[in-house]
Amino acid sequence: MTAIQEDDDLVFHKICSLLEPLNEKGAKLTRDTDIITDLEIDSVSLLDVVMDIEDNYDISIPVNTISEIKTIGELVDAIHKIKKEQS
Amino acid sequence: MGLFDKFENTATLLKGLLAASPRDPFSVSMDEMKGPTRALVDGKEIVLAGTNNYLGLTFEEAAVEAAVEAVKTSGTGTTGSRFANGTYAAHRQLERDLAEFLGYQHCMVFSTGYQANLGAISALAAAPHDVILIDADCHACIYDGCQLSGAETVRFRHNDPESLDKRLSRLSPDVNGKLVCIEGMYSMFGDVAPVKEFVEVAHKHGAHLLLDEAHSFGVFGENGRGVCEADGVRDQVDFYTGTFSKSLASIGGFVASNHPELEYLRFSSRPYMFTASPSPANIAAASAALARISDDNSMRDKLWSNARRIHAAFTQLGFELCADVGPVIAVKLANKEQAFMAWNVLMENGVYVNLAIPPGTPNATSILRLSVSAAHTDDDLDIVVNAYTALSHLLMSKKADA
Repeated sequence: MTAIQEDDDLVFHKICSLLEPLNEKGAKLTRDTDIITDLEIDSVSLLDVVMDIEDNYDISIPVNTISEIKTIGELVDAIHKIKKEQS
Repeated sequence: MGLFDKFENTATLLKGLLAASPRDPFSVSMDEMKGPTRALVDGKEIVLAGTNNYLGLTFEEAAVEAAVEAVKTSGTGTTGSRFANGTYAAHRQLERDLAEFLGYQHCMVFSTGYQANLGAISALAAAPHDVILIDADCHACIYDGCQLSGAETVRFRHNDPESLDKRLSRLSPDVNGKLVCIEGMYSMFGDVAPVKEFVEVAHKHGAHLLLDEAHSFGVFGENGRGVCEADGVRDQVDFYTGTFSKSLASIGGFVASNHPELEYLRFSSRPYMFTASPSPANIAAASAALARISDDNSMRDKLWSNARRIHAAFTQLGFELCADVGPVIAVKLANKEQAFMAWNVLMENGVYVNLAIPPGTPNATSILRLSVSAAHTDDDLDIVVNAYTALSHLLMSKKADA
């Protein structure tokens, strides 16, 4: 449980570090932050952030999955699921 | 009100940008065409340097005459789908002519280039066992084709065969068909794909390659067959897609292939079956333009010499350009606001180019996209270079003030 918790935090922090440069309004980044509406990041920029995540974790995250994701927490969960499947 | 809420952010953003812009770059009306490179806009003659009229054939005499004749003999519209009553002898003939010109066994004509990609991709790949891999900078119609197919879609880094290789390696062995989609030349920056390397990577993994040569057909390669001809791998491309609305100066699209299975798309591709076929005039104009391209290289030579002149002039002026010499010469601006301002300066100086801002552009850049035409005269290009010179001086003086 502890290991999963730590891993969860690492993925969350990794995503936040990639989103922070695009967070022009300085919104607080939490698991509940809506990436498109709260951060005003356009859909293409989000896809580019996901590409960095893919290369970082050596996984592929389908566009179909990304289009269903709204919050940072949902993105973290999706990455965990895919890491498990593709490892 | 719920239905319209989603437009509010974009509307607010646009309103802000337009408030500081004397003209609206997204609703320019060409009030009167004065040939392939000039138009009257708000009573002023403007040089058109933001089109896709690469070979300048929109007023080609033989094409105009063929289109007029086709209207007289075959009518103004087909009123039906290719699949039903909308296939005339001329549609079939153009398919054979395109197949012959490109060196493939099979060709299908669609009503637009958008529908050619939409129709090919959505019919070729299917959920749940096929996977589509697309270059990150692919055109919206390729993304839409993926969405319509319902198949799992994975992006790889732009023009990066190694990034594709990695993603193909990660696929589960349960995956059935694999379709890789790239473009020859990308429309916004004008950068060119390493098609040969992509063919190798795709085929190494047992994937099929779909290459969209919409912007490179007629422009690249010894005979104008596109980037795959220039790279010497034309015969290894599985599906070659293209459009009539650029070098062929009409409207319509096509898919060509050596796979006989392409013919199955005629009864499985929704964007082919459930829309009206191209009008007789569109087909006649495209056929005439293809005939001209097939036996005359002079437009292509002129296009490239015009492109070299503009690219050199802009480099000299100190603009940051998005790609090497080619028919699309895009200038990178600092941000949306500066791009709007720059676009207005060029219009004031008699030049129309395409303003492109995120998310319609790669890497969230704001650009002025200029396209060169074989029909641009030395006078046209003088006006273009003068306008960009005025812009460069203005940008430099603003920088000095800051």
